[in-house]
Amino acid sequence: MKEENRDTTHFGYKTVESTQKESLVADVFHSVAAKYDIMNDFLSFGIHRLWKRQTVACAGVRKGHRVLDLAGGTGDLTAKFSQLVGDTGQVILGDINDSMLKVGRDKLRDLGLVNNIEYVQMNAQALPFPDNSLDVITIAFGLRNVTDKDEALRSMYRVLKPGGRLLVLEFSKTDNEALSKLYDFYSFNILPNVGKIVANDSESYRYLAESIRMHPDQETLKGMMENAGFEQTSYQNFTGGIVALHRGFKY
Amino acid sequence: MWVSVLTAIAEQAVNRLLTLEPNLAADLQGAAHNVLALTLTDLNLSCALHYNGEYCFVYGNYHDDADCHITTSVDCLGELKDPSQLTRLIRSGKLDLEGDLHLAQLYSKAFGNLNIDWAEHLSRYLGDAGAEHLVSSVKACNNKAQLHKKSYQQVMTQLCQDELNVTIHPLELQQFKAQTRALSSQLAALEQRINALTD
Repeated sequence: MKEENRDTTHFGYKTVESTQKESLVADVFHSVAAKYDIMNDFLSFGIHRLWKRQTVACAGVRKGHRVLDLAGGTGDLTAKFSQLVGDTGQVILGDINDSMLKVGRDKLRDLGLVNNIEYVQMNAQALPFPDNSLDVITIAFGLRNVTDKDEALRSMYRVLKPGGRLLVLEFSKTDNEALSKLYDFYSFNILPNVGKIVANDSESYRYLAESIRMHPDQETLKGMMENAGFEQTSYQNFTGGIVALHRGFKY
Repeated sequence: MWVSVLTAIAEQAVNRLLTLEPNLAADLQGAAHNVLALTLTDLNLSCALHYNGEYCFVYGNYHDDADCHITTSVDCLGELKDPSQLTRLIRSGKLDLEGDLHLAQLYSKAFGNLNIDWAEHLSRYLGDAGAEHLVSSVKACNNKAQLHKKSYQQVMTQLCQDELNVTIHPLELQQFKAQTRALSSQLAALEQRINALTD
């Protein structure tokens, strides 16, 4: 999905100034942070846990690895990676939104995961790490909120070590017509109403549905990763393509 | 996605075992931070076990590097409980192993040594008598099922053997046909000879 031009970008179905998108997305996540986990379970019927399980299985994280869980939000993946990298490794939970980071930090501390996790507020387009310094980067349900996705992918490529890998878990496009119609009905009729009832915020969940539709499809995102320099890029669809896991390596 | 559901259930079960049976955790210490991958060819299923010293992750659809990768069939899974069988299975071609054999033996030994006292664990929820009754009933059912299985296997074997006795091998049929043709030609020759003598 190409951006409209250099100065504008999508915010759901709206076209906004590129400089505005960050603050608009930030408002959405400030609003939903407190109830993010419960809404995830509620709206995905718990299936997001299975998608994340498969992401961990494909990440190849081993003891001593340095892992960045970008747009890590409430730290579901960080919790798993923290257990896998052991005392000699490190997991960085990065998010542009401080409300989400605080919720994630509290949750992980409550789980007793404190030794090998760092919390860093960061912009995916300008990652604050030296070149070739990370073994694995994951970004789960975050890339579609980034203003300049190509720049973010280039930034991720820069900080990965040779042999390192990027995993992008994100909503995508289903090619099943019946499922697509059902999914559209759910996204635009049920999802905002559930958001209104449970989180008292229908607009944020309307943005969620719109931003999913504006996100690049599987092949386009694969091409974007290749343009950023990633090799052996591939993707696997989950739940009929509603979500896809892209993977690419830096050599 | 069903693979993820199954591996999630398996992960819960393995980690429950780790808390219930401290010996299992002790036996698996040597496998800490190593990945054991298992591919079941007949189910076209690949999974992996990744023990971190405290918790065991079970991955589904695993196609990454592993410290030890076992490729086998579902039938051979039961035999993996005995570490001494691993070499025999490899030699007989029923199991393919890449990587650290010691890791496979370690897992095999750890799970083979499991001797779970189910009555003890269930007694917390059902009481001593209830737990004992349930466990002995399940054991009795299991024994009965094994007996039935053995009996059905015997019946099936007998049926196959009986069937073998009433059907002939294609080679035997060909031989019979050749003998019949030879007899027929001999009979024709004899008939011609008799006709020649009587004329």
